[in-house]
Amino acid sequence: MWHDAVLVAGKDLRIEARSRVGLWQVVPFALLVLVLLAFAIGPDQASLRHAAPGIFWVALLFSTVLAIQRSVAIESGEGTRDGLRLSGIDPAGIFLGKAAAVGLQLLALQVVLWAGVTFLFDVQVHVVWLAVVASLLATVGLACAGVLYGALSAGLRVRDTLLPLLVLPVLAPILLAGSKAWEAALNGNASSGTQWLKVLVPFALIYLVVGVVVYGPLQEAA
Amino acid sequence: MSYVDAGYAAALGTMLVYAVTLVVRRRRWERALKMSEPAAEPDGAPVRGEPS
Amino acid sequence: MTEQVIVPRRPRWLDVVGILGIVALGFTVWLGLWITPPDVVQGNLARLLYVHPAVATVALYWAGGVAAGGSLLYLWPRTRSFFWDRLAASAVEVGAVFSALTLVTGSLWGRPVWGVWWTWDARLTSTALLLLLEIGYLALRRVPADLDVRAKRCAVAALLVAVDVPIVHFSVDWWNTLHQGGTILDPGFDLHVHGIMLWTMGLSFVAFTLVFVWLLGVRYQVEVLQDAVGDQELEVSLSERWGEDADLVSVAGGRAPHGSGGAA
Repeated sequence: MWHDAVLVAGKDLRIEARSRVGLWQVVPFALLVLVLLAFAIGPDQASLRHAAPGIFWVALLFSTVLAIQRSVAIESGEGTRDGLRLSGIDPAGIFLGKAAAVGLQLLALQVVLWAGVTFLFDVQVHVVWLAVVASLLATVGLACAGVLYGALSAGLRVRDTLLPLLVLPVLAPILLAGSKAWEAALNGNASSGTQWLKVLVPFALIYLVVGVVVYGPLQEAA
Repeated sequence: MSYVDAGYAAALGTMLVYAVTLVVRRRRWERALKMSEPAAEPDGAPVRGEPS
Repeated sequence: MTEQVIVPRRPRWLDVVGILGIVALGFTVWLGLWITPPDVVQGNLARLLYVHPAVATVALYWAGGVAAGGSLLYLWPRTRSFFWDRLAASAVEVGAVFSALTLVTGSLWGRPVWGVWWTWDARLTSTALLLLLEIGYLALRRVPADLDVRAKRCAVAALLVAVDVPIVHFSVDWWNTLHQGGTILDPGFDLHVHGIMLWTMGLSFVAFTLVFVWLLGVRYQVEVLQDAVGDQELEVSLSERWGEDADLVSVAGGRAPHGSGGAA
């Protein structure tokens, strides 16, 4: 399973390196969300600083939907999914591989978003380890839940509108916990932040396990 | 480094880096164009040194 | 139009422009950093006046103008030619680099003066939007398609980018901004630019403009070469390998619900 996961992750990442859709479309989109939210909130510096953690996570969530759609689209060609199924690659490995590829891209995106938020909203992360751990945990959850729901909606024509509708409510706890953890990291309040990490951990684990178990049967059904 | 120095460095540096990438890209595509036109070389010997 | 792509020979004048640009830049830097005096009010920070406004002018007016003009000329049947399409695309890419540079140099100026790296005033925000619009165009341009389909799509997208140009220009008039109005033309501004400072500023405009022309020229050459080499069928099959549904893309005019701008 692990070997297959590495194989699939490598494939997805290599495709991204060649086509650079993530770089040219997802990253600018994330920055665009930052700008749009700044429009919506208005020019008051204090409000923006207060909203900064939430803005980071909303931008990340929307970008995750894009990244998932991209991950699913890679296998949307004629017969590609069937080919993958018949190839004998362990479906759990496919799941882990795809989730790993998406996760790595999301981590890279978060670095850019972090820089963007810091620059555009004039905030500074004071408890760095808290923010980093929150990001890592959340990314696991985002990637696993995302790939799972991506597989759910994969064969459908309405995939593009259905996927956000399915996955965003599921990701909402990550949004909440992540924002709170980041808020604590920005304010320098480590203790309240760690409480929110405790929400992120089970979420990540649940979707990791569910994904590994359910992905195979899902592929058979799709 | 003062803000002024950083500004000049950013401007000059960026333009230099971009100019270099453009020249590199141009050379790469010129070579690719030559490669894709075998009929243009009657003796078959490549004008530019290395094979791709 | 499925004519073969003809790659013109490298024009001599382009390299001359490049060299002139480097020389002018060198003079600008020399004058700007050493010869000109520090400003009475702003001290050495005023030296950024020899970089930031010129870079912004290139990004906004020269690049934006060429991109818009080229796109219009492509769209108008009488003057339609891939030359305009390629020129416009080159202008957008070079423009994006200069837009980013405008934001960076402006930010470096703003930090000591306003105390913040960034503020959401109208001019900065509209310039940031310009950069994002340009990036959207560049992403759209990378989607494989037939030359004329791509050209038409991108021409429309470029015009939408160009809509932001007057917004940026008039932002300091329409809204109450932190960013000041015209430096030379606005008498209310507290920086008096005259004498050698004015000359240096003028020189900086010339220098950056020359550099822009050279960059535009080389970028154009790259664009022509790419089209000449590019086998459209190869690109389409490659794009299918990469997971982009080329048919879906050209019908929908861009990535489905998240398409940039107003591609038809």
